Amino acid sequence: MPSHLKVNCDRSALVDALALASAVVPTRTTTPVLTCLKLTAKDGELVLRATDGQISLALSVPSVEVASAGEALIPADKLGQIVRTCEDSAVTIEMDKNVATVKGEGSTFKIFGYDPKDYPAGKDPQPVGAFEATSETLRRLVARTIFATAVENARFAINGVLMERKGKRLRLVGTDGKRLAVAAGGCTGDGEMTLIVPSKSLSILVKMLGDPDSKVVIGKSDGQAVFQVEGVGTLVTSLVEGTFPPFEDVIPKDQDKRVTFDAADLATAIRRAALLTNEESKGVRFAFKGDTLVVSSRAPEMGEAEIRVPMSGYQGDAIEIGFQPAFIVDALKVVDGQQVMLEMRSPQKPGVIKVGQEFTYVVMPVNVG
Amino acid sequence: MEGSRTILHADLDAFFASVEQLDDASLRGRPVLVGGRAGRGVVAAASYEARAFGCRSAMPMSRALALCPHACVARPRFARYAELSDRFMSILGRYSPLVEALSVDEAFIDATGSRLLHGNGEDIARGIRAATHAELGLTASVGVGPNKFVAKLASDMRKPDGLTACPADGLAEWLSPLGIERMWGVGPRTLPQFTAAGIRTFGDLQRMPEDAVRRVLGDHAVAMRERAFGRDDRPVEPEHERKGVGHETTFPEDVHDPEEAVAALHGLAEGACRRLRESGGLARCVTVKIRSAAFETITRSRTLEMPTDGTLEVLRVAKDLFRAWAAQGFEPLRLVGVRLDRIDAAEAPVQASLFPDANAERERTLDRVADAISRKHGPGTIGRGARPRPGA
Repeated sequence: MPSHLKVNCDRSALVDALALASAVVPTRTTTPVLTCLKLTAKDGELVLRATDGQISLALSVPSVEVASAGEALIPADKLGQIVRTCEDSAVTIEMDKNVATVKGEGSTFKIFGYDPKDYPAGKDPQPVGAFEATSETLRRLVARTIFATAVENARFAINGVLMERKGKRLRLVGTDGKRLAVAAGGCTGDGEMTLIVPSKSLSILVKMLGDPDSKVVIGKSDGQAVFQVEGVGTLVTSLVEGTFPPFEDVIPKDQDKRVTFDAADLATAIRRAALLTNEESKGVRFAFKGDTLVVSSRAPEMGEAEIRVPMSGYQGDAIEIGFQPAFIVDALKVVDGQQVMLEMRSPQKPGVIKVGQEFTYVVMPVNVG
Repeated sequence: MEGSRTILHADLDAFFASVEQLDDASLRGRPVLVGGRAGRGVVAAASYEARAFGCRSAMPMSRALALCPHACVARPRFARYAELSDRFMSILGRYSPLVEALSVDEAFIDATGSRLLHGNGEDIARGIRAATHAELGLTASVGVGPNKFVAKLASDMRKPDGLTACPADGLAEWLSPLGIERMWGVGPRTLPQFTAAGIRTFGDLQRMPEDAVRRVLGDHAVAMRERAFGRDDRPVEPEHERKGVGHETTFPEDVHDPEEAVAALHGLAEGACRRLRESGGLARCVTVKIRSAAFETITRSRTLEMPTDGTLEVLRVAKDLFRAWAAQGFEPLRLVGVRLDRIDAAEAPVQASLFPDANAERERTLDRVADAISRKHGPGTIGRGARPRPGA
């Protein structure tokens, strides 16, 4: 391939693609080429590649005119800054002997790049056992689980989201060992697949998702997960190694107290009660009785709060149970605008928040005495 | 606050050394040093007879013995000290619920609300001293004042076995002749600054205008000037905010093998966790301190998902932090330390876990047993092995 890339780009489309690719570029690395983006222009298309060794991203930049096919390897931060601060509607990137010239209407930048051959090979993975889900489904399932994942855990592989596909049912599961979020949705085809995808990879994937109905192909390749987002590009990520905890076992099936709330109303009450909690007091007390839920908190040396929330149709005996307020609010946020079912059994047993069959959230209590 | 407060500071005299003299009649009247005799051991306590020779606590034992070669050296018996400390604190508790323990052998007592029941500050101080002597066989020095600062100054005035009550009126005049070196915050390093500014006594500081104090000696000296007048409105806090605990060790020679430093972390984590468990706290943050042979000090911290007092968990995090540092460029080491911070009370609300760890209960039992052995035979008599034995 002649190594004389020349492309004319729509600036705002290029800015978006650069921002996304830069999220993958490592900030600290001993391998300088990894701080670069690889540009490949061919067949009328410009592809941006970035990798940190764990995640590899290939993005197709829209609204590009390829004047000359070729490759380039350019420091990501400089290219990003130049294009972002430019005010023209179009920019031209041209390579000559590893020097990139970025031109706007009244500006010319020359950046010293690297030899594209030095970049880790960017072959297109062939996903195995692939299935499809819509961007809308994936976006929803990730949002409903990723917040519950752990940063680090000695016992279990929970610094990522479990993706479990059985036939036409796709479930995502996130847990930090204290709460567990399970979100279900649909996918195409049949077969089974289980992956634990690092949280960072999923947060980048979410940014790639476009039009709600656009398709995402998900599969495995060489022990990695592959996500092909229609019209946008491909994300390949290494998986979290280790054992996901036995999450099915901790989803309670014998809850005997239940009541329905509007997610936003309940979240507001909890946020207000949480105003008088601190690191030491941690928990907010939930007292369900008759037609009223009383949410209360007390922080030593600060004060106390009590919020009364009317409820209708409460089933079961009265109960008082403590939870970390953020744990409940986190879940209510991701199902905003919907009715949620709260289920409990005893002050020592987990509470459950449900939205139909599509969202189940299990949260362990705090002993608020 | 309405009216003036009555604050006492009570301090057991040469506590560890006095206990040794109490339990072993042959030591009474003789200089006693409590501490380890081994090469780098330090003096944990010196009896007043030993202090006459210049021996002080925290001094290397070798130096103390050079000053007082005929001193008797006693190995510390921490379990016995803890027992007597508990009994001393409970004596103080009879006079007021507001007792703030500063360490095993000293405490502040706010007796403001106890005056109707137990008489004035001096009466209460006499009661404390009499009970300590009758029930424990130990002497305590007690100071009485309108606040913590003055009470502590007063208890230091007639030691050992003294009672000093500062007068209710004319406090500033009473404090005036005291040497400035008795001011909290004035040490060997800062003293020359004060003498250079012409300040040798509390009275000198009282007479210097506030803005001049600030200009010449800095902001911190303005607070000292307040103290020089005997003003201090800090409350007596029964449950003093729990502070972190840390253990560190300076190697006899610089360490060139990272794994040797990792091995040292075992004992340090063990010691820090033991103290945390004794205080009834749970730590939310683990810090590893590393000092290179070039005297550069580095710290690496991690906040835990769940607060803990478990040795194994702390050790795991400490090793992780240390190895992560070592992987980025190990340098020969002079010192390593393990510190536990952001302490919760053990009775604070606990977030339950979804996936209980079957090993956790066994670890807790192991920690309890190790603590009991350390209490009986002294710290360091039991610890985790740094490496599995071959074939184990």
